[in-house]
Amino acid sequence: MGRYVLRRLASAVVTLWVLATIVFLMVNVIPGNVGRSVLGPFALKEDVARYNHQIGTDRPLISQYFTSIRRVFTLDFGDSYKSQSAVTKIIFPALFRSGKLALLAFIITIPISIAAGIFAARRQDKVTDRVVVNAGLATSSIPDFVTAAVLMSFFCVHWKLGHVFADPPSGTSVVGQLPYLLTPALALVVAYFGYIARMSRAGVINGLQADYARTATMKGLSKGAVMRKHILRNALAPTITVISVQIGYLFGGIVGVEKVFNYHGLGSTMLSAVTSHDIPVLQGAVLLVGIIYMVSTLLADVFIAFLNPRVRLETSR
Amino acid sequence: MMDYRLFDNVRRQASPVEVELVEAFAQGKISRRAFVARGSMIGLGAPLIGAILAACGSDKKTTTPATSGTTAPGGTTAPGGTTAPGGTTAPSSGSIKQGGTLRIVAQTPAGPLDPVAMADLGTYCPVTTCFEYLVDALGGDVKPMLAETWKPNADGSVWTFNLRKGVKWHDGTPFTSADVVATMDRLAGSNLKASIAAGSTKAIDDFTVEITLLSPDGQFPQQVGAYNPQSVITPKDFVLGTTLDKRMTGTGAFKMTKYDAATGATFEANPDWWGGKPYLDKLEYSFSEDLATLVSGLQGGAADAITQFSVIGGDALFNDSNIVVQSIRGAAHREIWMNCREGDFTDKRVRQAVALGIDRQALLDTLLKGKADIANDHPIAPIYPFFDATQPQRVRDVDKAKQLLSDAGKAGLAATMYFPNLQEIPQLAQILQSQLKDIGMNVTLSQEAVVDGEEWCKVYDSKVEPAGCDGGKDFGIVDYGLRGVPDVYLVKAYATGEWNSAHYISEPFRAAVKAYQSSLDLDGQKAAIKDIQKIANEDVPYAIPYFYNILFATAKNVTGIVATGLGHFYCGKAGFTA
Repeated sequence: MGRYVLRRLASAVVTLWVLATIVFLMVNVIPGNVGRSVLGPFALKEDVARYNHQIGTDRPLISQYFTSIRRVFTLDFGDSYKSQSAVTKIIFPALFRSGKLALLAFIITIPISIAAGIFAARRQDKVTDRVVVNAGLATSSIPDFVTAAVLMSFFCVHWKLGHVFADPPSGTSVVGQLPYLLTPALALVVAYFGYIARMSRAGVINGLQADYARTATMKGLSKGAVMRKHILRNALAPTITVISVQIGYLFGGIVGVEKVFNYHGLGSTMLSAVTSHDIPVLQGAVLLVGIIYMVSTLLADVFIAFLNPRVRLETSR
Repeated sequence: MMDYRLFDNVRRQASPVEVELVEAFAQGKISRRAFVARGSMIGLGAPLIGAILAACGSDKKTTTPATSGTTAPGGTTAPGGTTAPGGTTAPSSGSIKQGGTLRIVAQTPAGPLDPVAMADLGTYCPVTTCFEYLVDALGGDVKPMLAETWKPNADGSVWTFNLRKGVKWHDGTPFTSADVVATMDRLAGSNLKASIAAGSTKAIDDFTVEITLLSPDGQFPQQVGAYNPQSVITPKDFVLGTTLDKRMTGTGAFKMTKYDAATGATFEANPDWWGGKPYLDKLEYSFSEDLATLVSGLQGGAADAITQFSVIGGDALFNDSNIVVQSIRGAAHREIWMNCREGDFTDKRVRQAVALGIDRQALLDTLLKGKADIANDHPIAPIYPFFDATQPQRVRDVDKAKQLLSDAGKAGLAATMYFPNLQEIPQLAQILQSQLKDIGMNVTLSQEAVVDGEEWCKVYDSKVEPAGCDGGKDFGIVDYGLRGVPDVYLVKAYATGEWNSAHYISEPFRAAVKAYQSSLDLDGQKAAIKDIQKIANEDVPYAIPYFYNILFATAKNVTGIVATGLGHFYCGKAGFTA
């Protein structure tokens, strides 16, 4: 197991290097003169040149590339072009905010959707199964920002049951922050419920039809024990993989929901960096999301290996 | 009825410049409003203005401006509805409660909180919550702020400012003339380089400074007021490039306590403010670039005020009985630039045809729900006291426009119009495209990636006259914010090169601007402005369809906020009604 984790970590370093290279190439194909875009159209040519020299964008690309790679591995992305404060001071608070929202959304979504999937699988092709499947299909086909806008209009603006802005005032306690985050988290729950519920349903149905489940039942184990000890260990592997991928998305891809609730997570930070040509912030945020993807998939694989002895055996070979 | 004895008495106290103005008013050459505005500009004190009004038998129901004393921003209140040009939320019935936190949603600052280099409304807002100006030019009149009184010399080339005593920086250090001298020297290299040089400002004593201008300017106090936002006074040891969040100081009603460029800022009341202890305990700013967020924040009770919004996208606020919308009438406008130096618009008949093809009333009704004044292809708004209302208004004439295009050999002209994604401008571009089709023009629309970007004005170091704004596209729309006087528009967009996207050069126009700027009396300004309006309307380097009102909104129980169209949101006298 330890060797497996080490091997995955080594491959993560290579992935990180590839990702950093792609990000470097991407930001360097964005047209425009950095100094000009920061200092504005009225700055003198000499000032623009001085600024470019100061931040190093006039150096040869290969030299800039090595600086960029060094920054990735030291997590020092330099200063924001826009606010001139350290990039880490911008992206880590944004990461923390995204993390809070993602955590709350998953705390609500995962148990509900897995339970709904198991419930539907055990009643396959009955009315309750159809309800879960179709409701899941319907909710996951609505874009999360649309759900967010609808929830905002009714819950927050019209009925005043929730907070319009998800950022709580400074100094609010952890418990006090929950009401602020609840409505955007619900928008994410609606979006992900169907996807996770259908994945767990399909896994449980496969498990229920598998030989090992029949054997366990014939050995005299109760239905609950068969489900817990045999079916779920196998059935949840694809669900955990899906969840791990969604974690990465929740950190960087929910710009729409963040915009609706004026929440300044990593997604909004990246969007703002793109529109203002703030390359250091963009670079830092994209790489951070990449790291989160890698860590979450690594944890998912380790968890699957923990749940399923077969996987452990395969990985130890 | 004129009280001659009192009038003579008053006249004996006044300087020659002041006497000229007083006599113009006494002879009925200028209106009462123009007299008060001009009088406050050249430093006539409130007692003197009041005495002159009384001597001339003027209506005593109208209040006189405070040109001395302790009136702080927000000390004057305006009726609800349209105000000009600094908007103040009117007090609701009942008194203002002491205490509370005002939650404001404002535009996200586009750059660091650098008081000297700041260049956007989102940055002006937090910076001017802490830093203040020499004069309060928020309304039509110039009033005291950090300077209590001011006077020009005979030709307006030297201005003396007497500073307010007892003002303290937020760290407790006393505010003195040394701070003003250091600030002016810093600005001499940047924002005020056209007006002063380093060393032009001298401290006469701890509370008197004398500023010698590079050339006479009868409107100079406007250069050290809110409509020249970077002219805020900073401490003498404030190093260029320092930002407010790195050094949280100022003389204003609120002290910054926390700043996050992404999320917002918090400020606490300054109990030692020269204007008196604010009603509010705290200000909490949230930043957002999204109009829908601003609107839903106010409607959903997450905010008590929003700093600025447009009719399109913000119209839900007009019908919400829990919200008060304030409309500041002013000179903010959109300029449709046409390159006069090269390309398809060099012939002024083509530019006139474009101007004649615009249905201005339709634009007002469709885009602004009437919250604007029709403009006449020059930047002089009707709110200015020297506005020449006798000039005939250009109205849409499709046949004449077609004829002009044909005469210029440009019938069926195809052009690409560049515009930013800002407030109603994309919709304005679409309507213009449709209206200009009627005169035979085929306009293609292209949205700029950045507001006021390279399409408008690419570089600043052109060697070709007019030096400055160069390399941009030939045809497009650019936004100009509200100013207390039109000098910025006239100088930067028309007379010199800095923002001259039309590459317009006209010696008669430059002469008229010079005459206007050097005039100390309203008659001189009126004469110069008449020429300016005429030349701009005739040459049309920029078609200007309307002057739109600046809109901001508050919850019903909020009162006393003073706003401008340039992002200032003064809350020193703001609070919640009981």
